[in-house]
Amino acid sequence: MKPISPSRAFAAEQSFASETIEAAPARNRVRFLAIGLLVMLLLLSARAVQLAFAGDPTAEPRHGAAIAQVERADIVDRNGVLLATTVRAFTLTATPERVWRANETAAALARIFPDMDRDATVRRLSDRSHELVFLRRGLTPNQRDAVLSLGLAGIGFAQEERRVYPQGALAGHALGFTDVDRHALAGVELGLDDQIRRAGAEGRPVRLSIDVRMQYALETELDAAAQAAHASSAAAILLDGRTGETLALASWPALDPNEFAGASEAARTDRVAGDVHELGSTLKPFTEAMALQERLTSSGELFDLSQPFVLDGTTISDDERILGPASLRDILARSSNIGAARLALRVGADRQRSYLARLGLLAPPTLELARSQAPIAPTARTRRDIAGLGFGYGLAATPASLAGAYTIFANNGARVTPSLLMRLPDAQIRRTTVFSPAVTQQVLSYMRSVVTDGTGRAADVPGLQVAGKTGTAEKLGDDTYSQDHNFSSFAGVFPADTPRYVIFLALDDTGAGAAGGAVAAPAVARTLRRIAPMLGLRVEPRLPSH
Amino acid sequence: MGKAQLIRALQIAAGILVVVLVVGLYKAKSDASKAEAHVRQLHQEISETEASNRALNAEIAHLESPAHVQELAQQHLDVTPGGQSAALPESSMASRLPAPRERQSHP
Repeated sequence: MKPISPSRAFAAEQSFASETIEAAPARNRVRFLAIGLLVMLLLLSARAVQLAFAGDPTAEPRHGAAIAQVERADIVDRNGVLLATTVRAFTLTATPERVWRANETAAALARIFPDMDRDATVRRLSDRSHELVFLRRGLTPNQRDAVLSLGLAGIGFAQEERRVYPQGALAGHALGFTDVDRHALAGVELGLDDQIRRAGAEGRPVRLSIDVRMQYALETELDAAAQAAHASSAAAILLDGRTGETLALASWPALDPNEFAGASEAARTDRVAGDVHELGSTLKPFTEAMALQERLTSSGELFDLSQPFVLDGTTISDDERILGPASLRDILARSSNIGAARLALRVGADRQRSYLARLGLLAPPTLELARSQAPIAPTARTRRDIAGLGFGYGLAATPASLAGAYTIFANNGARVTPSLLMRLPDAQIRRTTVFSPAVTQQVLSYMRSVVTDGTGRAADVPGLQVAGKTGTAEKLGDDTYSQDHNFSSFAGVFPADTPRYVIFLALDDTGAGAAGGAVAAPAVARTLRRIAPMLGLRVEPRLPSH
Repeated sequence: MGKAQLIRALQIAAGILVVVLVVGLYKAKSDASKAEAHVRQLHQEISETEASNRALNAEIAHLESPAHVQELAQQHLDVTPGGQSAALPESSMASRLPAPRERQSHP
């Protein structure tokens, strides 16, 4: 009997079952493989995403703790000589947890930093509530090496930047200084703060108009003059009168901006643009120019100045009585208060104030310094006030303002505003016309007489043709002016035949008899003798003394 | 070759391709990362060099400062600013010159 053949459905079922039994291990393998692949893919994808979007954290450069990252540009003089820069410095830090003996550590540090407060250092080293404490900032690389050589546990360093002034005290007041975080505090550092930051971001220096060679000559001569005259302070400024560029400016006592923290308030004060004084007879050339400009006098007029001038109960007199008829030239050359007072009264209060305003003497100086002191310039109400202004009393202004006013002699009667920034050769220079060229030239010739035959003879430098005016302003005490305390000065223009440069030098609080012609004028001569060759001007050499 | 085997082969090939691509991407990113790290290191070196240059420039400026030069001039040359040694009239030059050597007479 032929066995009954299985139905097709049964056969198919049976075949499927045998295949399932065979395929199960393979499927499991595929599943494991797939899962493995998936895990690997996920890991790789995660890494790829991390690299793509977050970068490689292991590639980060290992910096120390950042303190402050504000960038300030270098400051250079007109010839590119470095005046201020930012260098790498270090902050001394400590991890109190790791400091072994706070007392011994503080004592070791005090040997390198003698001014370090030892008790305070011990307290900070023992303060375990902080993970990291800062002990001292602005360390030089040498100081860091010295600390490292001690091998102190728990002591470390953080990197920072520090502002330094490689010329030391040279132009210290003009440059100013910054604090340890490089925030500007004084001088052009503050006056030009935005510009210095912008220039720093652009990687270029800020170029000042000063010249370190002239600056040094001016500072050393001012220092010598101030010490010789026993002055309490002193100021000097040298301008290119054509452009208004300040070639040098000095305040005394000197200030080293690298060590400003230890400087006295007197040393920190900028005397050129931050201190006002009654300027005395250095204003007389302007009084004469006003009278000439308004046609209230002429070069041919002669004055009788032999008698004191009594005005509203006040007697105006001259230090040296002028006998016989005196010309405008004599008034300047012999510094006559009587002559200047008479001319001022002719000009009158309104015109006088208008001229003073155009001379820039009623506004703060324009130098780009942190502090620009506004003048003390009350309106002249009485004839006595007007006369006093004629010879330099009743108006207190800065040396920078007066030097700016004297630029009229280098510009045919027009004034330019002084600046500390170097100007490009094709830069537009704004000039304010004050006097006509003829009047300016006439007064300039009188100022030359001051130096050749008058009170300013000590300022004469053979070959250089200096013109100028001395000033000796008595200082106001409690109620009265004192002859024992003077503001002695000399304002000059040179060379007189082609006037271009302006110099003003003043010594404050000089004693009796220390007139501008005796103490300031010689200092100007010594300065000019040194700087004239730097300006391409020829001076006749002095004969050696035997 | 059956259909199932073909599909399996294709799947394996696709898997290998994906793995190769991913490994390639990883390698590319790793290389880029290394290059980036190298660039950063170079930047840091430049920064270090610039910092050194700035310190050296400051040192040079200090050494060339007029006060320092004057000190050296006084110390080594006995020259003072504004002194007679700095500006001499022509007539006085002879007196400053060293005395001429006497000529040796030859027989």
